[in-house]
Amino acid sequence: MNVDEFAKVFGERFPDAEVRISENKQPHPRRRVWVTVGRDRFHEAMAFIKELDPTAQFSIIIARDAGETLEAKYHLELFWEDGESVSLIIGTSAPKENPTLPTVTDVFPSALAYEREVQEFLGIRYEGIPDPRRLFLPDDWPEGVYPLRLDDTGIKPEMVKNAGHPYSLKKEGER
Amino acid sequence: MRVPPTLSTVLGNLFKKPATNPFPKSDPVPVPEGFRGKLVYDVEKCVGCRLCITVCPAGVIEYVPEVRKVTFWLGRCTFCAQCVDVCPVNALSMSDEFLLATADKYDDNLRWFHGEEIEEFKRKLEEKKKARESFKKEARKAVESEG
Ligand code: SF4
Ligand code: SF4
Repeated sequence: MNVDEFAKVFGERFPDAEVRISENKQPHPRRRVWVTVGRDRFHEAMAFIKELDPTAQFSIIIARDAGETLEAKYHLELFWEDGESVSLIIGTSAPKENPTLPTVTDVFPSALAYEREVQEFLGIRYEGIPDPRRLFLPDDWPEGVYPLRLDDTGIKPEMVKNAGHPYSLKKEGER
Repeated sequence: MRVPPTLSTVLGNLFKKPATNPFPKSDPVPVPEGFRGKLVYDVEKCVGCRLCITVCPAGVIEYVPEVRKVTFWLGRCTFCAQCVDVCPVNALSMSDEFLLATADKYDDNLRWFHGEEIEEFKRKLEEKKKARESFKKEARKAVESEG
C-alpha cells in the first residue's frame, strides 16, 4: 500500500478525520500522510492501522500545549516490508479542562514509554494505561507542575536557576 | 589448552615501541589547522552590535552598555566558534591555546574585558569627550575672534 492508497482507505473508514498529504523536496524527497482524528475515535483508528499493517512500526509520540487544547501526534512507519514505507503522523487532542486520551498500549505496546512521558510533561491523562508511574521527572517533583505546559501549570519562575555570569554577579554585589 | 588467537599479535607488540606521547615531558600532539582553541577578543575592533550575544548557545557573553562593548567569561564556552563566524568586524577569533585548566572558575585567563579594564575604558572615553568639547570651544572662539 502506498501513500495515496492509505489516505483513501483511511479516509473512507473515518470520514470525519482530516487527512492530508505533505511533500518535501529537499534534501530527501518524501511524501507523508498527516491525519487528525477526534479522541473518541482515536483508539479505533489506531486499531484499524494495526489491522491494515500488523508489522506497523510505532516510532514516537510528540505532544504540545496548543493553547486551549493539548495535542499529541503519533509517528508511525507502515508497510516498510514492501520497500518504500508510508510515513504516517496521526494526531488527536484533548481540551485542557478534561485532558484525557485513550491509551494505545493494547494495540502498540511500545507506546507505553511515550505515554508516560507525555503524562508527566504535559499532564495529559491516559485512560487505561497499564503503568502510570513517572518516567523521567525526579521523585520529589511537585504535583500539578507540568514542565512543557505554557500556562500556569508550567515551570514556575522561582524554579528556574541560572548559575550567573561573573559580570552581572559583580554588578549585583556592588549595588 | 587452546592457543588464544591474539597471542601472536601480543608477542609481536612486545617488541615495538610504545605509541604514546609522554606529555608534559614532550610537547602535546600538534593541533590541526582551523583548531578551535581559546576565544580571543579584540576590544578595539568591536562595534558593540551584540550579534555574538545572540548566537552564543552558552551565555558566555554579556553586554557592557556604558562603553558599548561586550565582556566574556570563557568558563562556559563550548568552542563552537559561532560568535567568530557572525562578528561583522572580525573582532573575534579562535586561537591554538587549549591548556586552560585553572583552580578558579573566574580566573583572569578565562575572562575578556572585565573589571578594571572596563573602568579604564570608561575613563578614556570621558577624556576623549572632554578633548572633543574643548576643541569645539577653541574652534568657536577662533571663529568669533575672526568675525
Ligand atoms: S565559541 Fe561558541 S560558546 Fe564560545 S563564546 Fe563563541 S558562541 Fe559562545
Ligand atoms: S559580534 Fe563582534 S562587533 Fe558585534 S558585539 Fe560581538 S565582538 Fe563586538
